[in-house]
Amino acid sequence: MSQGIYLSDQPVRRPQPAGNSLVRKIQRACRLTLDEPDLGLNLDVADFINAKQGAAPRDAAIAIVKLINSRDTHTAVFALALLDVLVKNCGYPFHLQISRKEFLNELVKRFPERPPLRFTKVQRLVLTAIEEWYQTICKHAAYKEDLAYIRDMHRLLKYKGYVFPKIKEEDLSVLRPGDHLKTPSEIQKEQEIAQAAKLEELIRRGRPEDLKEANKLMKVMAGFKEDNAIKSKQLINDELFKLKRKADLFKDMLSASDAPNMENDTLVELYSALKVSQPKFQKIIEEEHDDDALVQDILQFNDTVNQLVQKYSLLKTGNPGEAANIQVQSLSAPIPASQSSGALANELNLIDFGDADEQSPSPTPAGTSGNSVDDLLGDLNNLNFSQPPQSFGLGGSIALGAAQPTTQAQTAPASGLDLLSGFNDSVSLSPPPPPPRQDLFEANKSAFDDFTGGFDPPSASRVQVFNSEHLKIEFEILRRSESSIKLSSFFSNSGSAPISDLTFMVAVPKSMVLKLDPQSGNFISAGVKDGVTQYGSIENAYHNAGKPLKVKWKATYTVNATPVEETAVFAFPQV
Amino acid sequence: MGNSISKVMVKMFGYREMKILMLGLDNAGKTTILYKLKLNKIKTSAPTVGFNVETVSFRNVKFNMWDVGGQDRLRPLWRHYFPATTALIFVLDSQDTARLNEAKEELYSIISDKEMEDVVLLVLANKQDLKGAMGPQQISDYLELNDHLDNQLWCVIGSNALTGQGLVEGLSWITNNTKAKDKK
Repeated sequence: MSQGIYLSDQPVRRPQPAGNSLVRKIQRACRLTLDEPDLGLNLDVADFINAKQGAAPRDAAIAIVKLINSRDTHTAVFALALLDVLVKNCGYPFHLQISRKEFLNELVKRFPERPPLRFTKVQRLVLTAIEEWYQTICKHAAYKEDLAYIRDMHRLLKYKGYVFPKIKEEDLSVLRPGDHLKTPSEIQKEQEIAQAAKLEELIRRGRPEDLKEANKLMKVMAGFKEDNAIKSKQLINDELFKLKRKADLFKDMLSASDAPNMENDTLVELYSALKVSQPKFQKIIEEEHDDDALVQDILQFNDTVNQLVQKYSLLKTGNPGEAANIQVQSLSAPIPASQSSGALANELNLIDFGDADEQSPSPTPAGTSGNSVDDLLGDLNNLNFSQPPQSFGLGGSIALGAAQPTTQAQTAPASGLDLLSGFNDSVSLSPPPPPPRQDLFEANKSAFDDFTGGFDPPSASRVQVFNSEHLKIEFEILRRSESSIKLSSFFSNSGSAPISDLTFMVAVPKSMVLKLDPQSGNFISAGVKDGVTQYGSIENAYHNAGKPLKVKWKATYTVNATPVEETAVFAFPQV
Repeated sequence: MGNSISKVMVKMFGYREMKILMLGLDNAGKTTILYKLKLNKIKTSAPTVGFNVETVSFRNVKFNMWDVGGQDRLRPLWRHYFPATTALIFVLDSQDTARLNEAKEELYSIISDKEMEDVVLLVLANKQDLKGAMGPQQISDYLELNDHLDNQLWCVIGSNALTGQGLVEGLSWITNNTKAKDKK
């Protein structure tokens, strides 16, 4: 590299801007003379990559990250803008490149080990980009398992103490998959591009395990085309089904009243979704003309959509009378017996099950809430527990143990955070489950008891969390401030055998912070009430959070020499 | 770093590493050639579905040899193996005259790819031991490489994978004809 200036045998030419036209295009999009990132130039690069494929996505990623790391902020900012455009426009082949370990390491090359007090502009943009990828393509992309390194990098930065900026919702929506009806050939083409990109990447890496996978992938690409075809057919059926749901919803909204609000966003959106997919019907029928069941189904659906569209335009032009005459039959209503023999019909029934809570036009309340609660519980099951340090039995170290913040005890930074964030999402999506009535009742009752007894401040209330033949757990929940709750747990032995080795763990949603003091002991003699107590607090639990606070708890103990484990989710009463 | 070390190695010992892509119609003998070179053994193989890759050291050169299956439906995937190829070995079944034209078409579609414009081309007219096999000269004439290739170096060598005849000659031809390129 460090050669002096000398004349060689070759004629002296104007220095070619390094390498091929791709790199030249990238440099042009990031050059200093531009005032602001030029979307035209950036899209030009994206088109070039999409047309060329092969090594182009990789070359582009390498060239761009080099520019991002250049000492000049202007170039780096422009390069990041270009990167953003490519991620949004070049699809999987480019996603695969930005999820390479080498690329990600390069991307954060200028990040110090400890986060600085103030991020530079470039650092902030890099963090934004990673957060954006993390929230979109890592979660929704069809091949998200290939993008694991982005998740890892996100985790690593977080672990090192970097804070990610908040991303605006509209920025996220760009990278979310749209619900498009695609023809079989379109799906197949997408698959081919994605598989080809992956194959080339595997060949390039060339480690034995990559080659093994490449061989496998090649077999899929070459030998089992049928496999791909089946998959694409299923995708079509899925999309068709969703579309039918939309059509039904559209129908219901149109016939709900005599003069529905035509400016309703949902209505307009549904209308355009249906309208857009109509030309696709034609294409699908052309490509899949030998599948009679599917063609029949689409034709019928197309008729329905036509009627709906007509009805919509009549309503819009102020003609409700005529519109009312158009009777549209419901689509996802029970499928006639004559049709249910078709492959599609079977498919529909299968899908019906999982999709119920998303777009169902006439949701059955019980099923829906049941689903989301299940989901919620499923997520809760994944939670990690934070366990207070077991200072008990160590003799005299109470002060130490109590002083220690306990949240770090078990939440492994890597997997824990991810699971917890999943929990958060699901909470915000699901409708607030009705507060368990029984608990409230208990709460009132014990509050009453307390009041007459006069031991505790009147606002504290005891709630029974769990009761079995041996162990009874009660919470005393006291709101200390707008955001903080004091939690006291009381453990009683309601059986006739002593309980030993009692440990109690609690997990709270990620947005909150739980502090638990050590238990007062781990042994309860038979029949002793409040034999063990434990105090703690939950921070960030706001008063009017809109949904009941839920915690997951787990108690393990030994009774009659058999270990017992109890775990459940507990919803806090309003305090 | 690694790059500069290998450059030093090239200067001091002439030690090099290169990627060789071996393509050709199915049943031409690519896999047999690969393992004859690697293990000096005849390995009867089922038709390759996918690819094999082995490194073969010859003189001061380490060849990474990629042998990609030649069946119909694998051929569209060949292009994914093009990047960074130094030399292409196109293997022909010299006895299979019926499919010679098919082979010729495949060969031209490979070398007309942009990724492959700088590779050196070695055509191995394989299965020379079989009766009725066309000789290397005949095949060379049939392929008309002379008329169609301006910049690329090419060579047709007769070979017999079973005895190993022609294989080492092929590799040494590749070695000799790629050195000049690296010095540039």
